[in-house]
Amino acid sequence: MENQKFYYDNKTVKLFILATIIWGVVGILVGILAALQLAFPAFNFGLEYTTFGRIRPLHTNAIIFAFVGNAIFAGVYYSMQKLLKTRMFSDRLSKINFWGWQLIIVLAAVTFVLGISTAKEYAELEWPIDILIAVVWVIFGWNMIGTILKRRVQHIYAAIWWYIATFIGVAILHVVNSFELPISLTKSYSIYAGAQDAVVQWWYGHNAVAFFLTTPFLGLMYYYLPKAANRPIYSYKLSIIHFWSLIFLYMWAGPHHLLYQALPEWAQALGVTFSIMLIAPSWGGMINGLLTLRGAWDKVRDSAALKFFVVAVTAYGMSTFEGPMMSLKSVNQITHFTDWTIAHVHIGGMGWNGGLVFGMLYWLIPKLFKTKLFSEKLANIHFWMSTLAILIYAIPLYWSAVTQWLMWREYTPEGYLAYPNFLETLTQILPMYTVRILAGVLFLGGFLVMSFNLFKTMTTGKVEDNEAAEAPALVPAGPRNPVQETVHRWMERKGVRFSVWVFIALVIGGAVEIIPMIFIKSNVPTIDSVKPYTPLELEGRDIYISEGCYVCHSQMVRPFRWETDRYGEYSKIGEFVYDHPYQWGSRRTGPDLGRAGVVGGPMYKNAAWHYNHFLDPQKMNEQSIMPNYAWFAEKDVNLEMTPKKIRAMQTLGVPYEEGYDQKAIDDYMIQAKLIVDDLKASGIEIEPTKQMVAMIAYMHKLGKDISVPGDSETTTSGEAIKENVELLSSQADLDAAKQIFQTTCIVCHGSDGKGIATFPSLVDDEWINGNQPEQVYTSIANGNVAKGMIAYKNQYNEEQITQLASYILLVLNNENSK
Amino acid sequence: MKIVSNLLENIEGIRIYYIIGLLIFVILFIVIFIRTMKRSNTEMEDIKNSILHDNTTEKTLHHN
Repeated sequence: MENQKFYYDNKTVKLFILATIIWGVVGILVGILAALQLAFPAFNFGLEYTTFGRIRPLHTNAIIFAFVGNAIFAGVYYSMQKLLKTRMFSDRLSKINFWGWQLIIVLAAVTFVLGISTAKEYAELEWPIDILIAVVWVIFGWNMIGTILKRRVQHIYAAIWWYIATFIGVAILHVVNSFELPISLTKSYSIYAGAQDAVVQWWYGHNAVAFFLTTPFLGLMYYYLPKAANRPIYSYKLSIIHFWSLIFLYMWAGPHHLLYQALPEWAQALGVTFSIMLIAPSWGGMINGLLTLRGAWDKVRDSAALKFFVVAVTAYGMSTFEGPMMSLKSVNQITHFTDWTIAHVHIGGMGWNGGLVFGMLYWLIPKLFKTKLFSEKLANIHFWMSTLAILIYAIPLYWSAVTQWLMWREYTPEGYLAYPNFLETLTQILPMYTVRILAGVLFLGGFLVMSFNLFKTMTTGKVEDNEAAEAPALVPAGPRNPVQETVHRWMERKGVRFSVWVFIALVIGGAVEIIPMIFIKSNVPTIDSVKPYTPLELEGRDIYISEGCYVCHSQMVRPFRWETDRYGEYSKIGEFVYDHPYQWGSRRTGPDLGRAGVVGGPMYKNAAWHYNHFLDPQKMNEQSIMPNYAWFAEKDVNLEMTPKKIRAMQTLGVPYEEGYDQKAIDDYMIQAKLIVDDLKASGIEIEPTKQMVAMIAYMHKLGKDISVPGDSETTTSGEAIKENVELLSSQADLDAAKQIFQTTCIVCHGSDGKGIATFPSLVDDEWINGNQPEQVYTSIANGNVAKGMIAYKNQYNEEQITQLASYILLVLNNENSK
Repeated sequence: MKIVSNLLENIEGIRIYYIIGLLIFVILFIVIFIRTMKRSNTEMEDIKNSILHDNTTEKTLHHN
């Protein structure tokens, strides 16, 4: 048959490559800034735009959607044209895809630093950008399916199956997870609440890893690895089996992110079961990739591209084994809420995604620009910098995770938590955070070496924007002949039918996971005492969401003794029925806040404490790494939005009385006035409309509705005073007391005992309950809830409390009387 | 739609659906596995080798 002439569109590929490199540098730089902030809080710069809560989502989104996203498009646009022997379906769609995606990235960056966020991990963008993403994604899919339909080859190669699964998978996930009720251009509420929102979010979050960071990259692996090695993929049969298994199984595994949390047991079992099963198809891909190099390992020695592919496939194998292991409930105890997850995703991100992108670029750019790589030596330097950076990043974080987990659950022989102050467990891992910065700088250094090398390669060659090619036209194969063609072989040449089967395979898992959680009421039992947020609390919650507090603080107490002793009663599914969106978090860089409003509980702090802590956390405890939020005391809540928010909540099913939106502001001011008066009693003047007041109200709401007044909710007044306390004056006792004081009491009373801000001095002549040893002992043991001091008899034994009283009276008072 | 949501709200025992899903997967997996393994090796070799010969470019022309 006569050849047809056509032109490959290399210009779009080139643009996506350039965007990949530029956004890669930006994403890693922002990551280094976030890492710096965790080790040295000064890098929050005291600005609301640069706090960790806003920078962290900027980093994750920049890496996932800007760096990786552009790399996917570059790889797909190049390989699809070559595989299907045709130009992309529409130049206009290609152009809209490219510029639309860049617009999304810029809008994301701007909105994140402005504090416009939905606070749903990896889906933090607000609804107008969500719609833009959907439009651009459909254009990408339209262009892809159109290209498949006008192809000049009969068979659709395996790489393209993965691209199809990527398009359909991401479309389903993005649309379902983004159902939200807008109340303004920059604010919306998730239509799902609490546990339902959590299930949908982690179905999305887990499968964003699957269909944005895995399936497109398996497609790229199936094309670029054989091309770079000049060897066919090891087994095409294996590619068929692992394709269908992987896309089917992935969709079920989301609940493994919510183990031991407020979720029905069946949903947790579902997540664990399918996560373990996922090892098989994942390793099918890894084996297919590695065995492609069978007999060609000599080429790996000479090619940086192949070296990166080997690291990528190996990291994929490690991550996809580690992931299912982390889904086992016993292992998940350690890995969840610690840095283990952070290490895990960076092995995947830096190794698998980074490795494949780097390998692809080293192979593709010389090819595209019809020249040789500028320097193979520089590429090798990049390879070693990048590989070492992965190790230097991951090892300290695994160490950090185990360290912190062991400290969280350590008990003294008397049965008290050995490290009741969360900060102790954090300061222990800060050296590991410093090492992580070095790893990030090393990775960035390697990336810059690559950028220079590739830039020099581009300047020595020339890309043909429209590259001419020839291929025979596609002869229609007609209907299936059952004798000559298997069903799958037939499907492999029917792009649309193939896509429909992919869609069916994908939706089954999601439907089984989500539909019962949303529709079957018995899955979300309600608690009568749980009331909707008051207007003031709702505004406080929106500030919490906007600031991205969820990136460091969870609101989920798991049913372990070491969590209930530290935070309070474990979390119940019915507590969260008015939470649009849920805020359970996934990492505890700070303590869990789910019980911050339980008066007399171990996490309760009074209004003055919160005020001072938000103003300057380091003043309260110099080891704290929390950014300051001084603007909470300066900025007003936009009260014009409050009635709108109440109406939105009513639409979502929150049972405010009819017409409550009209009374919302009055109720807001009444509750705010109580907090203002409380602060005034501590010598703090503030207006009721300030954000600080709303945040304090929200903190005091957390867990309050399900708290049961009990023994812990008592004050010093009326308590029997401990009799015959003999002060301990040995150096060992005083040293032990000093250690407790410096990790616990320092937060309110200061390291010298003189008191911070409005908290009382322990070294002057004014004593609320007296300064006799028995009285000091009793004050420590029973606390003073009205003043925000918890009962430490629940955390320390009698000897430790006696040591503390001795330290205060014998050491601190003596030092200050000199 | 009301009838649909009523129906869904009152389905009991839907939690076993994932067991059924698991069974569906296992059955389909076995079928796909057997049928794939029975496919001709020559055909598979042809397909996987095809991408190594996709370089049909001849010369640069100006795109209209």
